[in-house]
Amino acid sequence: MTATVVDTHAADHDDHDHGPTKGIKRWLFSTNHKDIGTMYLIFSLIMFFTGGAMAMVIRSELAVPGLQFVHPEFFNQMTTMHALIMVFGAVMPAFVGLANWMIPLMIGAPDMALPRMNNWSFWILPVAFGLLGATLFFPGGAPAGGWTMYPPLVLQTGDAFPFLIFAVHLMGLSSIMGAINVIVTIINMRAPDMTLLKMPMFVWTWLITAYLLIAVMPVLAGAVTMLLTDQFFGTSFFLAAGGGDPVMFQHIFWFFGHPEVYIMILPAFGVVSEIIPTFARKKLFGHDSMVYAASCIAFLSFIVWAHHMFTVGMPLTGQLFFMFATMLIAVPTGVKVFNWVATMWRGSMTFETPMLFSLGFVFLFTIGGFSGLMLAIQPADVQYHDTYFVVAHFHYVLVPGSVFAIMAGAYYWLPKWTGHMYNEKAGKLHFWMSTIFVNLTFFPMHFLGLAGMPRRIPDYSTQFTDFNTIASIGAIGFGLSQLIFVWILLTAKRGEKATDRVWEGSHGLEWTVPSPAPWHTFTTPPKARIASESFE
Amino acid sequence: MDELQRKKNIRRTTLLVSAVALAFFIGFIMMGVLRS
Repeated sequence: MTATVVDTHAADHDDHDHGPTKGIKRWLFSTNHKDIGTMYLIFSLIMFFTGGAMAMVIRSELAVPGLQFVHPEFFNQMTTMHALIMVFGAVMPAFVGLANWMIPLMIGAPDMALPRMNNWSFWILPVAFGLLGATLFFPGGAPAGGWTMYPPLVLQTGDAFPFLIFAVHLMGLSSIMGAINVIVTIINMRAPDMTLLKMPMFVWTWLITAYLLIAVMPVLAGAVTMLLTDQFFGTSFFLAAGGGDPVMFQHIFWFFGHPEVYIMILPAFGVVSEIIPTFARKKLFGHDSMVYAASCIAFLSFIVWAHHMFTVGMPLTGQLFFMFATMLIAVPTGVKVFNWVATMWRGSMTFETPMLFSLGFVFLFTIGGFSGLMLAIQPADVQYHDTYFVVAHFHYVLVPGSVFAIMAGAYYWLPKWTGHMYNEKAGKLHFWMSTIFVNLTFFPMHFLGLAGMPRRIPDYSTQFTDFNTIASIGAIGFGLSQLIFVWILLTAKRGEKATDRVWEGSHGLEWTVPSPAPWHTFTTPPKARIASESFE
Repeated sequence: MDELQRKKNIRRTTLLVSAVALAFFIGFIMMGVLRS
């Protein structure tokens, strides 16, 4: 582990030149990375519950066969909006929030390199989701063609269509600005002797994620711009009638879409790589190999996109290439899982809430990884395609994967943010309830998919009833379990006072500043040094 | 590194990364133009 420590005097404890302004102006015009990080995290929590409420509608409708509560058109709106909100509103902003809070603290920088742009990239988000959410009240309803926005279906959206496109543009703009900020900060603002390979894993995984964002978000913007011109300006990029090619949209979309998966999982790898060494009280096994593995995953993510569209028909060589390239991703991912397990090997482990969520992540994300490997096998994918097996796969990657890592990170750094220890018993209850219900929700979906139940349908044949009922009970249980997290957050300041270091095994610059972290930190660069030997 | 140099570096990195993002945006639309 190449974490760094400093003597406590290196942190800027006594900077009292000015504090935050009072009232709403503090948040509207904030250029402070901690305030902006907090706003991102709160926004993502609101979006998590909004998208979650939509998931409840979906699972309630699917609890038993037949149409119970909603019209099929509204069901399709719910699946589309749930995905867009969870991907762009919940998971991505949550990681940007963690990045805003923690990257400057971890590298010893006073703030993000471009603080005004940081403010813009946050405040664009509520506008984007305001526009998207408003479409739910339109006469024709919200977009219902799936988050993938495939033409020609998406072109039938109606009045909501331009709102969808503009919202996606704004979300992309926000992500690109956030990514530029992360790259510029990490490249230019590190403490003097913090070389690239001495950076903590969370910083490394975010740097790689930011490069992915820079490369693929403009591609999504390009794709939806072409959709817009097809709809309103008479072009035929994707319209077969005008000589265009709808399959080209799928290629462009998934050139964005597959790296997007890694955008949502690489920072999760970073969070877990910070937490496991702390609670195993050992340095991270193979720090440099973790960096190379993350870079390797990022590179491979650009050459596997067509595995999402094996059934559109492509040459055999194409199928083979995308199949083998996809399977290759298992190698660097395996390196990561091996390194986490090796870090825990013979460690003095304790199981506080952040560690529990991290362990849950390692076990359950791996299940998602393995089902991904099954989907990568082209002849098998023809059977699995568009079934609930795919739904089970990506929810295992994103819920006990990304969401568990976000929860782990929130619990891990919460005492540093609030200055108080959270309620550990409630945290553990949150973990166990979430783990039981997440498996109850998504594991049966594997069986439904293997039995042939298609995705995105509001009704189904009666032979699928039992597993669907179990999944719906699990989903409602999972949703309710998240209220424990809200209660923990609301009572976060009632706990005992947190020390600067918070956790016995913690290491790194962020633990050298007081808890709660002062409004200004590291106004003079800290003297960092390698701390590997302190774990021997 | 003095503050002036750091500011220069920040500006340079920002412009470089923004240019890459713009190139991907225009590049993919151009690909669509050439294919359709």
